[in-house]
Amino acid sequence: MIRIHVLEGTALVWSAEEAREIRERFRLVGTLVGALARKPRQNAHLGLPLQLLPEEARLLAELGAAVLVRGTETQPPAEGEEPTQASEVEAYRRELEESYQEQQRLAGAEREALLARLAERIAQGRARRREQRGETPDTVEDSGLLDSPFVLPHDAMMVQLPTARRCLGQVERVDWTSPSPDWPHPGRPAHEARYRVFRELWGRGYYLSGGSKFGGDFLVYPGDPLRFHAHYIALCCPQGDPLPLRTLVAAARLGTGVKKTLLLCSPDAGGTLAFTSLQWSGLQ
Amino acid sequence: MEAELEPRSRRLFSPAELLAARTRDRKVAQCSQGQKDFIPDGSEEQAERLHRCREEHWQLLAEERVERLGSLVKAEWKPREGIVELKSPAGKFWHTMGFTEHGRQCLLPEEALYLLECGSIQLFYRDLPLSIQEAYETLLSQGTVSLLQYQVFSHLKRLGYIVLRFCPSAVPSQYERQLNLDSYCKSSGKHHRKRKRRSSPRLQAKKPKGSGNPPECEGTPKKASDSCGSPSHPASGRSCLPEKSKESDPASGEVESAQVPTDAAQLSKPPSRSKAQAEDYGKAAGDSCSGTHLPRWDFNRIAFPNMASDCPHTFLPQPDERLLPENVAGREADATRWRKLVNQKREKLSRKEREQRERESRYKSSVNADREVRRCSNWQEYKLLLKQRSQRRAGRRPSHLWDQPVTPLVKPDQVASAAAVLQQISVLQPSHILDGASRLQEDTEGMKIDFSVYQADAVANFKKNDPGKPYARMCVRRFDEQIPSLRAVKQLACQSEDVPVIFALVDNGDIAFYSFKEFKLPVDIYH
Repeated sequence: MIRIHVLEGTALVWSAEEAREIRERFRLVGTLVGALARKPRQNAHLGLPLQLLPEEARLLAELGAAVLVRGTETQPPAEGEEPTQASEVEAYRRELEESYQEQQRLAGAEREALLARLAERIAQGRARRREQRGETPDTVEDSGLLDSPFVLPHDAMMVQLPTARRCLGQVERVDWTSPSPDWPHPGRPAHEARYRVFRELWGRGYYLSGGSKFGGDFLVYPGDPLRFHAHYIALCCPQGDPLPLRTLVAAARLGTGVKKTLLLCSPDAGGTLAFTSLQWSGLQ
Repeated sequence: MEAELEPRSRRLFSPAELLAARTRDRKVAQCSQGQKDFIPDGSEEQAERLHRCREEHWQLLAEERVERLGSLVKAEWKPREGIVELKSPAGKFWHTMGFTEHGRQCLLPEEALYLLECGSIQLFYRDLPLSIQEAYETLLSQGTVSLLQYQVFSHLKRLGYIVLRFCPSAVPSQYERQLNLDSYCKSSGKHHRKRKRRSSPRLQAKKPKGSGNPPECEGTPKKASDSCGSPSHPASGRSCLPEKSKESDPASGEVESAQVPTDAAQLSKPPSRSKAQAEDYGKAAGDSCSGTHLPRWDFNRIAFPNMASDCPHTFLPQPDERLLPENVAGREADATRWRKLVNQKREKLSRKEREQRERESRYKSSVNADREVRRCSNWQEYKLLLKQRSQRRAGRRPSHLWDQPVTPLVKPDQVASAAAVLQQISVLQPSHILDGASRLQEDTEGMKIDFSVYQADAVANFKKNDPGKPYARMCVRRFDEQIPSLRAVKQLACQSEDVPVIFALVDNGDIAFYSFKEFKLPVDIYH
């Protein structure tokens, strides 16, 4: 069960495995919005969390593959009430200490191995130095390769800054069918219309992503966006809503300019969807 | 339900893995498997390329942050104050981020979150370190910074810009800049608290600076009028004046000529305006960095004697001892002797000045030399005289030109260039975004400027206490929100004075920047 964490109406996925499953099994793309762990100070490749469109989150919830949750320990404690987390703090400190000991041991072993590998060269170097200084060669000294026990400074220890939560204790479910401060989308007519279009196009096997870059609601790809360009710019026009000619011309022009077909999608009250595509044909 | 919420896999590293991370590759390879394909054709090649791309992608995503403990700065989240306090000395980031409060080094929540994502700090809450997810959920849900604003903030920071929160009271108005007050204010530390959060309650309790400082006192009300732009204050100022001038007449108790009320009114004008504006300012913006306080004197009641040569009364009574300093005793004076000396000295002009005056006297004449003007005893009569004169001049217009249905466009003495003629017949006047902006009421449809952005190459010279003029100011909005009206755009531009305002529109993680660009329609005439 995929866990989608909602934060102020935004659906976020914090686990790399879940992000992979969402993309490979469910054909949903999403957008990465966090800093990449390996190289955080650039914008070309972003990292977790994966932000899902409200339509994508709703689709996953409807399919029963995901559940919407939210954290509950985000409120500051009330006056004078300091929750006793002593046991957890203790556990964390113990873990840190154990990790430190283990790292020290491993680092020490590594260093020993390194010295053993280079033992011959070290001995040669020492002999040469002694010759230069004019001392008599002393074989007893050669055995003392490791002068003092290895100590790893506490500051040199490596720690992990985890991306996702360590323990899942304080989360609670969010109902995706009724509007709430955490998930305000259900019931909004704009969201409902978009979702119907999204569901229909997804059902036909396309990959969909946000279309604001090209002035539309969705971009429709024939395959994974990593490898393919979008074919359509989908624009949702609910039936009965006025569509000024200016908007139509602007959208069509934009589509032509970027070599994509404009797809007008009209969900009507009856449950059917009408699709109209616009393509520049020239005057032949 | 509990079983469903079990963690999939705990992504915690063993000590061996942690140590191994020291020698991790820090490069990010491009998914450069050639150009994108047009249509999926089910071929093996395409599938293979897609597979490789995806594998690289997941590999990058699955990496976790592992840092040396010594290079991490310890920080603690304080939810009640809404800031992050540093527990160990700050690193290089202190040059452009963070502020000092009560001797502690602190960070704003968005800065702390950004640094956490970069792997520069370790954030603790209740003695436990926060993961990135917990930090997002804890720091961003307090209402000070929203997720949208944080996304724009981190996007800009990753590009290298210096991003600070916007404090409207720290923007020097055009008047202040004209008077070169902004450099004065900077040195006096007037704006040194602008790093604080705007909604801090402590800001309002701060004492106002330099009460005995007339430029500042004058400057702040002016600034208030620019930034608040409430239309009530000029009206109230104007309506105050006639009342106050009437008030000063009986209150003075001294015999005054007709000119004294105007003197007193003029003197009382700046302080009364500052009083009215100070009230408006206090009401409109609760977080002024330095507030004006009301002057101690009620200038409506203090009358200054008229020392001009036309006032026949030369006997000055003893002034009210409340107006004098403690150790100064006032006494009566007879001003006759002084009156004779005032403005009696002949002006000595240099030769150049005399020549210039001689040249000018051929075609220029002083307004006061006109006898009809001297007969006027106040402004009203003078204006009436001017009106009569212009009417008389108008009566001398040739009737064959001016009495027809089609009259000439301009008078010969009205225009000096072809451009001026063009101006008369132009249909559209060029307009600047700041025209009339200061008069708009403060109701920007919930839009506000969120950040000030400074160029990345200014990092070397950047001083947190004195950042200088920003490169741009950001207003963060959602993509599906209504496009702002011209009124709101004007108000934002006015708040930002001469720095351009850029709208950062966030559409589910994709950020696009929009701004209004100014251009002039070409005019076909050179002037």
